[in-house]
Amino acid sequence: MKLVTAVVKPFKLEEVKEALGTQGVEGLTVSEASGHGRQHGHTEVYRGAEYTVDLVPKVRVEVLVSDDMAEAIVDSIVSAARTDKIGDGKVWVIDVEDVVRVRTGERGEAAL
Amino acid sequence: MDYPRARDELLSRPGHPTAARRRILSGLTDDWLADLFQQAGADPSDTALVAVGGLGRGELCVHSDLDLLLLHEPKSEVSAVADKIWYPIWDAGMRLDHSVRTVAQARRLAGQDLKVDLGILDARVIAGNGELGASLRGLVLQDWRAMAKTRLPELRESVVERTERSGVLSNLLEPDLKESYGGLRDVTILRAIAASWIADTSHKSLAAAHEELLDVRDALHIATTRNMDRLTLQEQQPVADILGDQDSNVLLRRVLAAGRSVAYANDEAWHRVARAIAPKQRFRQGRSVYSNKPERAPLTEGVVVQDGEAVLAVDARPDRDPVLMLRAAAAAAQAGLRLSPHAVSRLAAESAPMPEPWPSAALDALVSLLGAGRAAVPVWEALDQADLITRLIPEWEVVRSAPQRNPVHRFTVDRHLVEAAVNASELTREVSRPDLLLVGALLHDIGKGQPGDHTEVGIRIVEDLAPRMGFDHADTEILVDMVRYHLLLPDQATRRDLDDPATVQTVVDAVQSVSVLELLSCLTRADAAATGPAAWSKWKGGLVADLVGRTKAALAGLPRPAPNELTPEHAALALAEGVVVTLEKGADVWWVTVAADDRVGLLGLIAGALSVNRLAVRSARTDTFGSRAVTTWSVIPAFGDPPALDRLREDIRFALAGTLDISGKLLARAAAYRKKAPTYRPAPSIEVVAEASARSTVLEVRAHDRPGLLYMVATAISRADVSIAAAQVATLGSEIVDVFYLEDSGDFLHDEQIATVRAAVLASLSDSDG
Repeated sequence: MKLVTAVVKPFKLEEVKEALGTQGVEGLTVSEASGHGRQHGHTEVYRGAEYTVDLVPKVRVEVLVSDDMAEAIVDSIVSAARTDKIGDGKVWVIDVEDVVRVRTGERGEAAL
Repeated sequence: MDYPRARDELLSRPGHPTAARRRILSGLTDDWLADLFQQAGADPSDTALVAVGGLGRGELCVHSDLDLLLLHEPKSEVSAVADKIWYPIWDAGMRLDHSVRTVAQARRLAGQDLKVDLGILDARVIAGNGELGASLRGLVLQDWRAMAKTRLPELRESVVERTERSGVLSNLLEPDLKESYGGLRDVTILRAIAASWIADTSHKSLAAAHEELLDVRDALHIATTRNMDRLTLQEQQPVADILGDQDSNVLLRRVLAAGRSVAYANDEAWHRVARAIAPKQRFRQGRSVYSNKPERAPLTEGVVVQDGEAVLAVDARPDRDPVLMLRAAAAAAQAGLRLSPHAVSRLAAESAPMPEPWPSAALDALVSLLGAGRAAVPVWEALDQADLITRLIPEWEVVRSAPQRNPVHRFTVDRHLVEAAVNASELTREVSRPDLLLVGALLHDIGKGQPGDHTEVGIRIVEDLAPRMGFDHADTEILVDMVRYHLLLPDQATRRDLDDPATVQTVVDAVQSVSVLELLSCLTRADAAATGPAAWSKWKGGLVADLVGRTKAALAGLPRPAPNELTPEHAALALAEGVVVTLEKGADVWWVTVAADDRVGLLGLIAGALSVNRLAVRSARTDTFGSRAVTTWSVIPAFGDPPALDRLREDIRFALAGTLDISGKLLARAAAYRKKAPTYRPAPSIEVVAEASARSTVLEVRAHDRPGLLYMVATAISRADVSIAAAQVATLGSEIVDVFYLEDSGDFLHDEQIATVRAAVLASLSDSDG
């Protein structure tokens, strides 16, 4: 099993959710996040005064998937979240040892 | 006896929880504990097993904890006996709160710990020496009565703390049946107040509400199989099924109504306690010694302060004065007082129906009430309890105690709206129309609880309601837009690309002006804070602020409305010589027009003369016509009728001649009013409005109103040797938004002058706040 984590622009959340839905993903976790990547935030001109936004608002989406699905999930997130501009975000995948569904106690792939 | 089996048998019988079943369960538990007491070899002559808490009151719920006290004579050795009683209880899987004490120990502890104290007031001997238990209860009760004057305020404090923590039951979508204000704990407290003999407590409909809450708690225990008191959303349907309610909304409405009854009985009881133990001020200067007459001080027309609450004046006539209700409510809230129950019931019984559209004084009072912030809540609740709100706003009926099925929301719809208005009152300095912000916040979700999209329904309601409340066409449009777009900013900010010009353009098209954008931005924050902790975060706030900033930049450069032109009548007045004063009665204000030779300080001096005559300025305009200035004022007399024109004219002439001691008179009056408890108020704001005029520097001052304020501000400006070319003064409820067009020899002020004026105005505002 894999944990796919994506940090994307907030307004892309709906499209990412939709894309995951078409892939058959039933559950996901979304949290508000902020941070910066290579570009170290951006500079804006607001009322004549320039100011730097060092932490940019993002959303963090986490999905638990089976090994064979991970690749396809990553691809669909990337294509849904892409705007071809700075700050489109990142997606990463890590191995998951075990998963338990709290209500039933099911384990492993059955709990996904 | 096989207690677990007997208990299971009882609970498996068909039928839902009732008081009778709780009594049977308590009885069964009593018998079992009496057996344990006997089997433990306790000596019934010098020990007693005492039940406190729910078992003591004979209202044990399915999974309630057992709260037991083993009472013994000082010399007897009981620790072994205690173990033999407690262990079987633990073995049966029951949760137990236990203690072993002598009568003296228990009494001492009760004197230190309110929780122990209240517990023993409900104590009941289950087994052993009955006299031992009776003597403890008698002694504790005796102490409770003797110490009531210090212990009741302590108890009150604990209630306030608990309410802050657990909320008010009747407003919550997930109420705590025990700890929320109006819950089961408050029923116990009501009994303790009655036991103190300090204040009587009324019990109308209370017994039914109490049993209802217990039934729901019992069902909640069954549904969750544990000792749970918070009726969470996910448990509401199962509990409704157990209790045979049609659906979870029926259940929740029932629970909230019960909580409302309990809270109301507690409000009344605490109010009587406060009056009973308040120090009696029998001696005061200028009155006969030992006069027992209550002190009465006027608050506003028809309303006086008496014993720390707002009551109707002797000559008040609700049947002839439909605005009285709102005026009294506003005055009470602004002074941080509650409206006396007697005043509320008189208003409910006698008030004349409000004419439609409302007189402007009524709308003004509503705005002033909402602008009072937190202090408005108890006043609003009192009016709502007496059905006075629905009489003013019939559409309120649907949202009253209305549940909303949304995990983000914490409050019922009506309380959410009131909370939004309270939150908005802290943001009044950030908008040019605080009145629209407050009323918009109160109405933004008024369409909830009806079929269809709540925004669509809300728009239709406000289109119809706002004109009835006395808003003109333009203001109605803005209020409708506030309802229509109340979710626009968060939606756009979190779901659209802020870098895409189309996103900003969508907002620009919707709001069309900076003033509406500011209203929406403040409404969004007030709404979110009134929803629940999950509705707002720094993250979301940052996105919304970014969107607002970008939209503002896009809107910048749009012209601000210019000052009005002089009317022909005023031009004629301007041509006359000397000081000309006219006084006219308008629909619900008086109009004062003053024409005089223009001079620095004119506006302030006239404002001062009006204040000295107890005329509250609602709006003012000043226009210059050559060397003459015409100022037009709408004023409301603070009490009764305005002064005679002759006297007013004399005072204005003296003021302009410099022979009227305005400051002295206003200071003396301010000193007399200083007793008023100040409620929370946002700090005043002073902004220079860029590019608003071709030749004047435009200064906008927003602050909380008080007598003589305009005099102080205008005088402060004049002292900086700057002339006020024109001014637009507006009093909206209890907030003022004053715009001054300032000039120095017919030109803009330079930066240094602006700084001086700003500092002078700020100083005058903080002086008047003290």
